Amino acid sequence: MPWMTILILIPFFGSLSMCIVPVGGLFQARLQAALAGGLTLVMSLIMLGNFHRDFPGPQFVEHAGWATQVGLDWTVWVDGISIWLIILTTGLFAVAIAYLCFRTPERPRAFLALILLAEVGLIGLFSAGNLILFYVFWELMLIPFYFLIGMWGGAGRQLASIKFVIYTMFGSLLMLISIVSTAVIAHGITGVYTFDIVALRNVAYTRPESIWLLSGFLLAFLIKLPLWPFHGWMPNAYRESPIVVVGLLAAVVSKAGVYGLLRIGLPLFPRGMEYFQYPIMLLALVSIVYGSLVAWRQPTMRMLVGYSSLAHVGFIALGIAAIDAQAAQGAVLQMVNHGVVVAAAFAIVGIISARTGKEDMDDIGGLASGAPWLAGLFLVVAMASLTIPGSNSFAGEFFILAGVFRHDWWAASIAMIGVIYAAVYMLRLYQSSMNGPLRGGDPHRAELKVRDVVVLVPLISVMLFIALWPQVLVGASSAAVDNAVAPAQVAVGRPPSEIHALVLPNLLPATALPSATSTTGGAAQ
Amino acid sequence: MNTLAATPPLIVAGTAVLALLAGLLPTRWAHREGPTIIAIVGLLAAAVMSIVLWGNRIVALGGGYRIDRLGVLFNLIFIGCAIATLLLSVHESAGVDRRGEYAALVVTATAGMVLVAGAGDLITIFLGIEILSVALYVLCALELWRERSLESGLKYLIVGAVGSSFLLYGLAFLFGTTGSTNLSTIGSRLTEASFNTEPLLWIAVTLIIVGLGFKASAAPFHMWTPDVYEGAPTPITAFMATATKAAAFVAFLRIFAAPLIDLVHTWQIAIGAVAVASIVVGNIAALVQTNLKRMLAYSSIAQAGYLLIGVAAGTIQGAQAVLFYLLAYAVMTMAAFAVVIIREREVDDGEQLTALSGYGRARPVLGGIMTLAMLSLAGFPPLSGFIGKFLLFGAAAEQHLWWLAVVGALGSVVSLGYYLRVVGVLWFGADSDPQPRKLLEVSSPAILTTAACGVAILGFAVFAGPLLTVCQQAAMSLLSA
Repeated sequence: MPWMTILILIPFFGSLSMCIVPVGGLFQARLQAALAGGLTLVMSLIMLGNFHRDFPGPQFVEHAGWATQVGLDWTVWVDGISIWLIILTTGLFAVAIAYLCFRTPERPRAFLALILLAEVGLIGLFSAGNLILFYVFWELMLIPFYFLIGMWGGAGRQLASIKFVIYTMFGSLLMLISIVSTAVIAHGITGVYTFDIVALRNVAYTRPESIWLLSGFLLAFLIKLPLWPFHGWMPNAYRESPIVVVGLLAAVVSKAGVYGLLRIGLPLFPRGMEYFQYPIMLLALVSIVYGSLVAWRQPTMRMLVGYSSLAHVGFIALGIAAIDAQAAQGAVLQMVNHGVVVAAAFAIVGIISARTGKEDMDDIGGLASGAPWLAGLFLVVAMASLTIPGSNSFAGEFFILAGVFRHDWWAASIAMIGVIYAAVYMLRLYQSSMNGPLRGGDPHRAELKVRDVVVLVPLISVMLFIALWPQVLVGASSAAVDNAVAPAQVAVGRPPSEIHALVLPNLLPATALPSATSTTGGAAQ
Repeated sequence: MNTLAATPPLIVAGTAVLALLAGLLPTRWAHREGPTIIAIVGLLAAAVMSIVLWGNRIVALGGGYRIDRLGVLFNLIFIGCAIATLLLSVHESAGVDRRGEYAALVVTATAGMVLVAGAGDLITIFLGIEILSVALYVLCALELWRERSLESGLKYLIVGAVGSSFLLYGLAFLFGTTGSTNLSTIGSRLTEASFNTEPLLWIAVTLIIVGLGFKASAAPFHMWTPDVYEGAPTPITAFMATATKAAAFVAFLRIFAAPLIDLVHTWQIAIGAVAVASIVVGNIAALVQTNLKRMLAYSSIAQAGYLLIGVAAGTIQGAQAVLFYLLAYAVMTMAAFAVVIIREREVDDGEQLTALSGYGRARPVLGGIMTLAMLSLAGFPPLSGFIGKFLLFGAAAEQHLWWLAVVGALGSVVSLGYYLRVVGVLWFGADSDPQPRKLLEVSSPAILTTAACGVAILGFAVFAGPLLTVCQQAAMSLLSA
């Protein structure tokens, strides 16, 4: 059974099915969207159940022709990294659809159809097995977000939507050039014209080739993440979008960039990553510090959470740029953690601003007196966001910092500033809205209702689950992570004891790898 | 047997005569609808004849005309564009009293294009281009009561004549260098002796590029395009933007990708430079347009630039990419113009961007088709425009023309500025005209054509595999002289 393809098609048909909803068929629209979102989540969980945890390579591989004579085909699969991102996607989209079903926006049919289309793009992206398909889905998710921002956004939506698209397309069209060039150059080396990610892994580009090819990809990834200074689209998009869209952008779409680094950057262009390692690390550090400082002074709740997301994504990028198995493992774990935490944070911001009608932090205060349940859950989310030991984010950030510290202690030290500042801005957000003098109307109105619980409780349970048992995630992804990082580890000359990959990369001619054969296989932990 | 090869142009030319005569039929209905019907039937017959000839290689008219896969594919493009134009022109004001002339001129232009597509020597190329140009000069000026239309016709006549003379001069130099007008003979002469340092050849190449550049509206020979496109009746603009451009490109391919292919270094830089200029000028100028026809004119200049990337590659892959992109370009441009035509009949100033404000919410299907066309022109995957650009950039990368690919990519980013503006206005704009006044009846053939173009934008992407096989075979037929 073509599980992977079906998983992509369910939300796609769900999106199309919105066309048959009659005008004003609010219930039917919600029902169909909920069915599509729920079914996708269930399907992805079934796949997780059938997933072989220790197998480092692609699973659920599916092939079909498209325009095979020029290398276009349908190749989808998952591995230990992408399965978790797909679960994250299906889970968060299911939650987003639940949120939307209880708070229907204007023109609900179109909104839900676009949300489902965005889900198609993201699932496709995380399962794409060749570079062209990767590019197709990379762009495909842009279109629904463009419309979601442009049609349902705030006053500055036009500028926000166009800025979002032009920034992203700038990177991605150069990525297209890189993709084509990769295939052409690989054709010159191996004699095979292919875009298959697995096949391209073993191509030994020269160092300049690797650097140039990677630079096209890198720009696209860094814009999507975003890392400072490529985040110019972010403030506009976050300020103007509907809160659900902001949540999805921060929680899921930002992972696309990291995923690209992990799926394409490290394994395909190890020598390019070696060249760009410190530039990326530097940008990640700047993003952490800059995001934290700017978040601290934001006047509105959503921008505070938005900039905190910039800092957290910087952490994840740092974990990748460290070129260390443990740090990369932390980055994967943190991708899921950050997705869940930031989605919960935005959900709470959405609930508060929907109830009080305000977003400015100066206008909201003391809500805990009337809404203790909201305050309690908010505190859990805030603690997870500021990486308090025992929270789910702690495991991830600890892995990242430990991995970074091993080779670049200074980078880890600077990154610690981000952890400290996270406490500053998250506590400011919590205290000013929940404690202190009462502002923003009757606090009892803000108390959680069933429709809020439906959204928040699944997210918080997942947070607690990962906090208690991160090994579930780590165990099932470590083999794939080790595999992804290994080529770059060889390229930067890490000692063999740190390289855990079962399958060694054919990065250089065999003679150039004297010590690599002595490495031991096995899990990172 | 040999004359069989020449049937498509003969059928098309005969159809033109019949359509002209049909305009003189006695009853009102007959002389109004007759020419269109006869033209479409004749064009379909020529299309069927072309398809029947697929796979054959026949030389006719003493080497002046030949039928091969490339010619057949282009015949189909031209005939498709002509039929779409005729269907979009039903009830078009320009042709109300002159239905016979209108249909006959469109078909005559098509006959010229079909001649170019199957040209076996330089004379046929020039003849075909002149036939199509002269027919279009008249068509542009057919809205006699509108000054802009007359201006458009006159401007096109003058600039077109300049372009034609450049082309003729270039062809003459090519003849002077090689001593033959036959393309195959030119090819073999060029391989026999070394012409690398022959200044006459350089002059010939330069002049031909300039002449065809005028016809393809590539920068810096594009100045006429916005004014002519704006002034001409909109279906004719659509026809010029699609079919005429394709005719210019088949001439490019017939000359550069066949006999001159071994001398690629003599013309690669020149065509690449024209491509870069077109991409830069077209995309940047389109950003500030508020008139949709002018915007699409500049967009077509930029698109000509992308297509020239494929020509500049000077390989079969490049030619294949040009063919595929031309197919995709024809349907997406036709779709965009079709929506403009429909809107023009609903409101005054229907060609202004503001006329589309909120149109997507009022007419979701038409808005959806316009959105598809814009996204495809901008190169969003997985639409056919994306696959075309992917092939073009790939062809450039293969020849290590990285600069062309990068300029093409950056140009596409700039192009988002105006393509997405249309999409934004369509869906996010305020409701402009809640009660569309029907100036003219929107005919059902026009709606059908629009829908068909929309389906084709998607269909070409889904069935890219088989379509590419066809394009590849057509491109291969360029070389097997």
